[in-house]
Amino acid sequence: MDRARAARILKTLRWPAFAGFLLIGAVGPLAVLHPARWLAPGADPVGPLTSTFAECARPPADPKDAWLFEVGRAAFRTPELLGGQAARAGLACDSCHQAGRRNPDFFFPHLSGAPGTADVTAALFSSHRDDGIDNPKRIPDLSEPKASLKVPQDPASGALAHFIHGQITEEFDGAEPPPAVLAGLATYVRSLDPAACPTPARTSLRVADQVDDARRAVRAALGALDRRDAPTAVLMIEGARWRLGLIDERYAAPDLADAREALRSADLDLAAALTAVRDGDPHAAVRLDLWLARSIAWTPRLEREEPRSLYDPARLAAAAGR
Amino acid sequence: MTTPLPIAASLAAGALILLLTPMSAAASGGGGLGGGALPPSISAPSYDPAAEYQRGLAALKDGKFKDAERSFGNALSVDPKNPDTLFMLGMARAGRGDEKGAAKAYDKSLSIDPQQVPARREYAVALAKLGQTDKAQAQLAMLQQKAASCAGSCPQAAELTAALTAAQAAMTPPSAASSSVPAAATAPQSATPDAPAPSTGAPPNPTPPKTLSLLLTDPTSGDGSYVDAVRLINLHRYHDALDSLAKARVAFGPHPDVLTYTGYAWRKLGDYARAEAYYREALAIAPTHVGATEYYGELMVERGDLAGARRMLARIEAVCTFGCVESEDLRRWIEHGPPAS
Repeated sequence: MDRARAARILKTLRWPAFAGFLLIGAVGPLAVLHPARWLAPGADPVGPLTSTFAECARPPADPKDAWLFEVGRAAFRTPELLGGQAARAGLACDSCHQAGRRNPDFFFPHLSGAPGTADVTAALFSSHRDDGIDNPKRIPDLSEPKASLKVPQDPASGALAHFIHGQITEEFDGAEPPPAVLAGLATYVRSLDPAACPTPARTSLRVADQVDDARRAVRAALGALDRRDAPTAVLMIEGARWRLGLIDERYAAPDLADAREALRSADLDLAAALTAVRDGDPHAAVRLDLWLARSIAWTPRLEREEPRSLYDPARLAAAAGR
Repeated sequence: MTTPLPIAASLAAGALILLLTPMSAAASGGGGLGGGALPPSISAPSYDPAAEYQRGLAALKDGKFKDAERSFGNALSVDPKNPDTLFMLGMARAGRGDEKGAAKAYDKSLSIDPQQVPARREYAVALAKLGQTDKAQAQLAMLQQKAASCAGSCPQAAELTAALTAAQAAMTPPSAASSSVPAAATAPQSATPDAPAPSTGAPPNPTPPKTLSLLLTDPTSGDGSYVDAVRLINLHRYHDALDSLAKARVAFGPHPDVLTYTGYAWRKLGDYARAEAYYREALAIAPTHVGATEYYGELMVERGDLAGARRMLARIEAVCTFGCVESEDLRRWIEHGPPAS
C-alpha cells in the first residue's frame, strides 16, 4: 500500500469523520466498509455485505418521468439527501430500504431493536420527532403491494411526496430538497412494484453495478443541467461520488493500488464538474460527458481486480477473520 | 440544512477501544518506542491522548498507579490542558501516596475547568491530608456554595452531596477519622500493585482510591453518556448535554468527537470563546477531524470571519475524498449564513 493511501485509511479509521464515532468497533477490520457499520455485533457479515436485494422497479416510459425516476433513484442512494446525523454516518434511504426493499440486517445502535428494525421517533436523528420512547419498528419493504403500505401513492393526492418531504426534513433534519429531487423520489418509490421483482430475490453485489449506479447518477445530473436545475445536478454528482467511495472501500488491499488510483482520478473529475456546476460554468455538462466516456476505460480494470477486492465473499470473510 | 449534529450511534463496551486500536498503531512512529537514528526533534514521541487516557484508566483500575501516571502524562504531552486527564493524573498520584503531586494536578485541572465537582472534592481531600486546612476549607466552601445554588435540583446534585461528605470527612480530626479505614486500604491486593511512595508513610494503597469507582465509568456507560448528549443536543437541552459530555469525557478522555460536541454545545449557549477552545483542542489532537473543522468553520461564520470559514472548508475538502456532507453544510453556512433556528 502506498504511504499516502495507508495514511488516509488510518485517518479514516482513526477519526471517522465524527459520524460513526464508536460504530467502528463493531466490525473490526471491516469498519472501513460503511455498510458494515450497521450490522449487528456478532452478525455474519459475508452475506449482507456481498449480496443485495434485486431491485423491483418499473421505470416510467415517459421521458420526463423517466428522468425523475433516475433522479429519485440516485437521491435514494445518497446520504447528502438526508443531511443531519444520518448523512454523517453515511446513511441513505437505501441503507434501510436496500434496492427499494428492506434491509433485514440493518442494526443501528440505540436506534434498532432486532436487526431490521429502527426507531424513527428518536432524538438521535431528529429534533422534530422524538417521542421519548424506545419503540423500534420493522423497516417496511417498499416493494410490497401498494395496498399494504401505509402511505397512499396515487400521484394526484401528493401524499407520498408530502410524506417523503417530512421524512427528509423532520425525521432526519435534512435540508429542503430541490423540487425535482422530491418529485423524483416519489416517482421512484411509486415505480417499485412486486410484480417487477426478479428471481432470485437476492443477487451478488458487483462492482459493475455500483459503477453503473454512479453513471446513472451522472446522467441524471446531465438531465438536471438540461433543465437548468443546478441544485438537483449537485446532489446527483454528490451521489455519484458517494458511489465511487463505496467502491473504493472495497479496494483497500495493498495490491489494488491501480484500481484505487483510477477511482481517485474519477472522483477528482467529478469534483471538478461539481465546482463547474456550482459556478454556473457552461462547460459543466461537457465535463460530465467526458467523465462518462472515461468511465468506460477504467471500469474493466475494476472488474478485473474484483476477485481480489472485498466484493469477493472469500476475501471479505478472510478480512473479517472468519 | 440546520447544523446536523454528528451521529451519536455507539456500541457496547469496548467499542471505543477497538476504534482506537488502529490509531495507536498509527501513532507508534513515536509513542515512546525510541527514535533510532532520528534526532529528538523528529523522533519525539507522539501519543494518541485518548488511547493513553484509556490505558491510564485501565492501569488505575488495576492499582498500577505508576503506569497510570505515565499514561496520563503521555496524554498530557499532546493535550496539556485537558482537565479530565489532569484530574486523573491527580488520582494516579494520590493512589501511590503522592498527595502533593496530586493536589498540584487537581489545582491545574480546576484552573482550566472550575466546574468539576470530583476534582474539587479530591483537591479538598488532598489538601486536608497535606494538613493545609485553610485551603481545604476554601475548597469545601466552594462545594457548599455550588450545592446551595444547585439546591438538589441540578444534574450534579448527587455528585455534590457525595463530594461534600467526602471533603468534610477528610477534614475531620484524625482521632475521629481513625475509625473509618479507607476502603482502599482494606481492599484485596491486586496482582502487581505499585508500592506507595515511601516518603508519605501512608499505608499500602494497592487499589484505586475508593472514590474512583464513582469516576471510572466503563466504555458502555461512556457510550451511554455520549448518546444521551447527542440526544439532548438535538433537543436543544445544551446544559444537560454538557453534563452528559462531561461524563463521556471521564470515560473516554480527550476524544476529539466528545470535545467537538462539547464545543458545539457551548457555541449553542453563546459562549464562543469556550466553544473555540474545545474545537481547537479537538483539532490539536486530530488535525483532520472533519466534524471539528466544520463546526469551527460555522463558528467563524457566526463571528463574521468568512475568510476563516473558507479556510476550514478547504481543509475539509482536502480530507474528504469522494465528498462528504460536512463540506456541503459548511458551504451552505458560508453562502447563506447560519440557518434560522
